[in-house]
Amino acid sequence: MARTGSITQTNHRMGYTQRTLVACLALLCLGACSAIRNPPPKDPDDLADYKAANDPYEPLNRKMFSLNMWAYHKALRPVGKFWQKNVPQPIRSSISTLNETWRQPAVFFSDVGAGKPRLAGDSFMRYVINMSLGVAGFFDVASLVGYKQHETDPGMVMALWGIKPGPYLFLPGIGPSNFRDSIGYAIGQGLTPINYVPRGYGLISFNWGYNILGTFNIFADSTDQLDQLEHQSLDPYAFLRSAWQQQRQSQIDALKADHRATTPDWY
Amino acid sequence: MMLRHLTRRTILGAASLIFLAPGLAKATPADDATAFVASFGGQLLNILNSHAPLTQKRDALMPLLRANVDVQGIARYCLGRYWKQATETQQKIYLALFEDVLLNAVTAQMGAYEDISFKLVNSTPSPAGQKVTLQITRPHHPAINMTAVISGTPPKVVDLFGEGASMRMTQRSDYTAYLTRNGGEVQTLINALKRQLGR
Repeated sequence: MARTGSITQTNHRMGYTQRTLVACLALLCLGACSAIRNPPPKDPDDLADYKAANDPYEPLNRKMFSLNMWAYHKALRPVGKFWQKNVPQPIRSSISTLNETWRQPAVFFSDVGAGKPRLAGDSFMRYVINMSLGVAGFFDVASLVGYKQHETDPGMVMALWGIKPGPYLFLPGIGPSNFRDSIGYAIGQGLTPINYVPRGYGLISFNWGYNILGTFNIFADSTDQLDQLEHQSLDPYAFLRSAWQQQRQSQIDALKADHRATTPDWY
Repeated sequence: MMLRHLTRRTILGAASLIFLAPGLAKATPADDATAFVASFGGQLLNILNSHAPLTQKRDALMPLLRANVDVQGIARYCLGRYWKQATETQQKIYLALFEDVLLNAVTAQMGAYEDISFKLVNSTPSPAGQKVTLQITRPHHPAINMTAVISGTPPKVVDLFGEGASMRMTQRSDYTAYLTRNGGEVQTLINALKRQLGR
């Protein structure tokens, strides 16, 4: 009985210790949450702005944005500017086309998922033509024969399926997103064949080259826009958030409204 | 006889109205908006494409923007709920600063927008006004689409859409976020705009 009592006491003590620990952890979590999450404001006008921005994780997102802009000024901008100055436009265009062609399977599957056969046909033909006549994707021959480039991604497909975007997120290295589109981004990466190049093959160096050159190209293409964003807005974070949210919605609306016939123009 | 004349006139009048009505209906507001954009766009291109010095282009630009863009309406929209909080003096200062900000935004891009041309792509009605989409082409650059929202009498540009984003809404988010994070005083925004114009 005494033993039972002692165990019970120990259990009680452990329970207390555990509870204290849990409470401390919960407090720490709450502290962390308030650092990453803004509670809804009480003022009706502020609340309307809060809802319109759809950004409850603003404190965390702003930190990520600052980190991104710090990296941009320290490294990405100089690299982008160097790339802009020293790499001729035709080579930059070829690298862009290469990146875009190798991402085409993800676009094709997204078009299929969105139930847009005409777009799926376009992306399929773009992949076939640019991989063959376009020398593994370096030249955009498909555009010349009427298969123009378009972007459809798994996030847009989920939007068409009625999945809500969830709160806004700013992901360092990736940029503006939301819960739905972040999952879509991961799915898109999974649907991109270059990510499955086996280790030990010569293609791995191509994969590295592809990613690095593609990234340099993106830096070069986006430096002017980011400079302009910083120069012309008082709150670049809020400016980018609003512009991205509107642009994303307009892409989804355009995809939804694409009811073109399956047969190509020449048929 | 008179009755016959009247009947003939009535029939002719009614017939002409029937034939004219679709034309009249078509003339507003879509055609008006398209004609306005074509005219304003043409004048804007004359300035941008001219080889005059930048200061001369800037001087020519402001009256054109004032006449064709609802600068005050856009400025008020961008300030949102803070417009009512501002004193009359603050409103006046803000409007003047906003004009300069707008002009700076256009002139900053002037170098990049030489030798440009545009064509009208389509025109659709919307709650904010008639949306007229233009395709702008520049040498050695892919064509870009831009949509102008036209409203009011006389017609004026009330908003611009680039890549699906409304410029006035984006600007409003910028100003509102800045004010919310900096105490909500309009004077703070005015000071920030002054600093922005000074840099």
